Amino acid sequence: MISREVCARVLAKAVSTGADYAEIFAEHSLNHSINMIADKVDSVNDSVIAGAGIRVFKGLRSVMASTVDTSEAGLLRCAEKAADALGQGTAQISIDLRERLFGDIHPIKTVPATVPNSEKVKILKDGYFAAKEYSDCIKQVTGTLLDIDHNILIATSEGIYAQDRQIRTRIAINAVAEKNGETQTGFFGPGRRMGMEMFEHEVNAKEVGIRAAEQAVIMAGAGYCPAGVMPVAIGNGFGGVIFHEACGHSLEASSVAYGTSQFAGKLGQQIAGPKVTAVDDGTIPNAWGSINIDDEGTPARRNVLIENGILKTYMVDKFNGRRMGMEPTGSARRQDYSYTTTSRMTNTFIVEGNDDNDDIISSMEYGLFAKSMGGGSVNPTTGEFNFAVNEGYLVRNGKICEPVRGASLVGKGSDVIMNIDMVGKNLDLGTGMCGASSGSIPTTVGEPLIRVSKITVGGR
Amino acid sequence: MDFLKFKQAVIDAAQKYGIKEYELYYSSSESTSADVFKHEINSFSSSVDGGVCFRCIVDGRMGYASTEELNAEQAESIVKRAKENASTLETEDKQFLVSGGEEYEPLTFTPYELPTTEELINTALAGQEAIYAADPAVIDGTSSGAQSGRQTIAIFNSNGLDLSYTNNIAAFYADAVVSDGKEMSNDFCVKSGDFKKIDVKEAAEEAVKNAKSMMNADVAPTGSYPVVFSHHAMISLLGTFSGIFNSENAQKGLSRLAGKEGQKIAADIVTIVDDPFYKDSAMPINFDAEGSPAHRKNIIENGVLKTLLYNLKTAHIAGIKTTGNASKAGYSSGVGIRPFTLYLEAGSLTEDELIAKAGNGVYINELGGLHAGANAVSGDFSLQSSGYMIENGKKTKAVKSFTVSGNFYTLLGNIAAISSEVKLPRSFGITNFASPSVLVEGLTIAGK
Repeated sequence: MISREVCARVLAKAVSTGADYAEIFAEHSLNHSINMIADKVDSVNDSVIAGAGIRVFKGLRSVMASTVDTSEAGLLRCAEKAADALGQGTAQISIDLRERLFGDIHPIKTVPATVPNSEKVKILKDGYFAAKEYSDCIKQVTGTLLDIDHNILIATSEGIYAQDRQIRTRIAINAVAEKNGETQTGFFGPGRRMGMEMFEHEVNAKEVGIRAAEQAVIMAGAGYCPAGVMPVAIGNGFGGVIFHEACGHSLEASSVAYGTSQFAGKLGQQIAGPKVTAVDDGTIPNAWGSINIDDEGTPARRNVLIENGILKTYMVDKFNGRRMGMEPTGSARRQDYSYTTTSRMTNTFIVEGNDDNDDIISSMEYGLFAKSMGGGSVNPTTGEFNFAVNEGYLVRNGKICEPVRGASLVGKGSDVIMNIDMVGKNLDLGTGMCGASSGSIPTTVGEPLIRVSKITVGGR
Repeated sequence: MDFLKFKQAVIDAAQKYGIKEYELYYSSSESTSADVFKHEINSFSSSVDGGVCFRCIVDGRMGYASTEELNAEQAESIVKRAKENASTLETEDKQFLVSGGEEYEPLTFTPYELPTTEELINTALAGQEAIYAADPAVIDGTSSGAQSGRQTIAIFNSNGLDLSYTNNIAAFYADAVVSDGKEMSNDFCVKSGDFKKIDVKEAAEEAVKNAKSMMNADVAPTGSYPVVFSHHAMISLLGTFSGIFNSENAQKGLSRLAGKEGQKIAADIVTIVDDPFYKDSAMPINFDAEGSPAHRKNIIENGVLKTLLYNLKTAHIAGIKTTGNASKAGYSSGVGIRPFTLYLEAGSLTEDELIAKAGNGVYINELGGLHAGANAVSGDFSLQSSGYMIENGKKTKAVKSFTVSGNFYTLLGNIAAISSEVKLPRSFGITNFASPSVLVEGLTIAGK
């Protein structure tokens, strides 16, 4: 994208007022999506995102400037703006860039941009009509097939000059079912850091549609979930969103460095039930949230966040790491060049435990089985969270009984992870988009079936 | 190349590819922000972004393509890609571009002056000092910041439409963190407008007061209660469920208001308005994302649904004129529908009278997890809440970590009283929402 020589000149400009670190993040991305509604291909979105963000640090101060003009003159102007914002001073460091090559641990067989729309439409229709034809109760279906070709270049005053090409593909089906004048929705949207080969062996489009439709139909026939405090079993895969929200965000340097995390200052302490081991791993081959390098050029790695309930590490980026005295952990991410990078999650999950899944359900006299979770949110300072249960069932006397709708789980992150008292054996990962200060990024959540001894269930 | 040169290159490319009906939508924004932590500037950013979207009608279908790279190669590429994308589409909905020569209401506002970088930094720093000064319980972790920006939108089409709009926006925020040594609590307050008029101290004190009030709050008891939603909480509900008034959702079976125009869907006291020129709006504008004139309209009037919100495509399907509510989430997005500033009209009671009328119930000041706990299609919601108990007609102890559950369609019919002051709008994306406080009968609270 931008030559090493140009990057060196731009970085030299960026450090000209005394910065002790400078970085260029340049991007050229193609975003493509095909959308269906009312049984027809309704829209195709096709956009090119291109620009660069330049950051400079001096001690505990950071400045970011971004531009859509990636010519050398444009980049130099942007670097000058960043350098000027830092204040008056003279260059303290010199720039010497060495190209670094990272092996691609996420091979791509079929680059989506080289596949004609007609072929993508065929796959999307398989998923769409599998949902539509699932039941007479299905009144509407929307479907999207999207692919992203995200090319990034990072050059830093530490000498890194590196590139990565992040290709992702996702199919998402949303089904609306109607029974007795009540409407309910079902959703399934798996994605991978893969090309179109995702549909050959990893994801079956028809099954995606069926799963979305099935959920909508079950929920449309369900009564409301009763409210109260009860034990809750949370299903595998996307159920891991509970760890992502209730705990993961509070382990990001963006809140830990400022002392505003519920888990700040707790390294080495017991913060979760002893059966809980949780990992953030950007290196899982071809997983949706995987990367080769993060957006500061640090190689992806597997970080054990919690081991047997003990807090082992945080997720750290270069700038916040300065405040914390910690090295970066391959966790720096941003949506695009116009956002300021910060520490974020990649693929975050609770590791398999020793409890049999059947034992988890049969241990519950009265509670909720949250088979499929929707999204959630958290306040990292207080740890207070809120999740929607997309598909839930009441459990009575150790047996899964009738489905219930409209349930949500609320509570405090530090309580809920302490109250995880059973961890099952069927780890699976789920696809999501995570929004925070550095924008919306692809992340994976995951867990096996787990039990939380008590949690407030919102219902009516 | 700049937008004007790029525009000419696109016009030439459209001619080359034999495209007669097309539109070029341009959006560019500049923003500057400064954040303060522990009394010092922690981060400063200055960003420029934006791009263009080309869309064209080919064989009755509308294809889109966009780019942020304004060069000769991309000028031709977006035309070619949009044409190709149009050929993939199957929808038979008739597509339109606005014809030139429409009448637009004049805009009467003058954009305020943006703060200089120095003013921006000084405001962020002063705000932080005001937070620390407000109360000894304030701890490090508290942050504050200031932001300013300019946005430009331009629409040009082959029917002779050529519009543009530029506006400035500046804002200050205070994020106060307080602690009693055992528990932390925080609250966020944002004030936007002309920096010469923003009261930074007031914003700082409001955030600290709210954060303190929630410290060691109890969990509300489970039960069914009358609920008073503060204007802030009601804005969250309106923002989350405004999609039910979107005619495209109604036409596609995603809103239960399909076919209900002219029918009673809310309590008699409910009037909901959409006004592009709302007096306190940060972005008053006189055209929508297709270039149609924007105007004020009642969506619900005395409980009766008067109109849904339309763009050219959905209005044609319904056989009516567009309400001028076309929107784009970003320059590259397809044309959808949104209100400009949507607000609930004021009622007659003071907030204290509203609380007294509730008798014994719950006052909800803040709702969280809106993207998760609310289903915009079914209208069901189950949301994380915080606020106060109402006992014998008075606000009493603070409560948090509970949910309020109900259904928005039902709630519209169960609004028993509305307070007399519509509070400042808050934006959800590009739409503003404003509301008084409201009393709603019979909602379920799940707590302890």
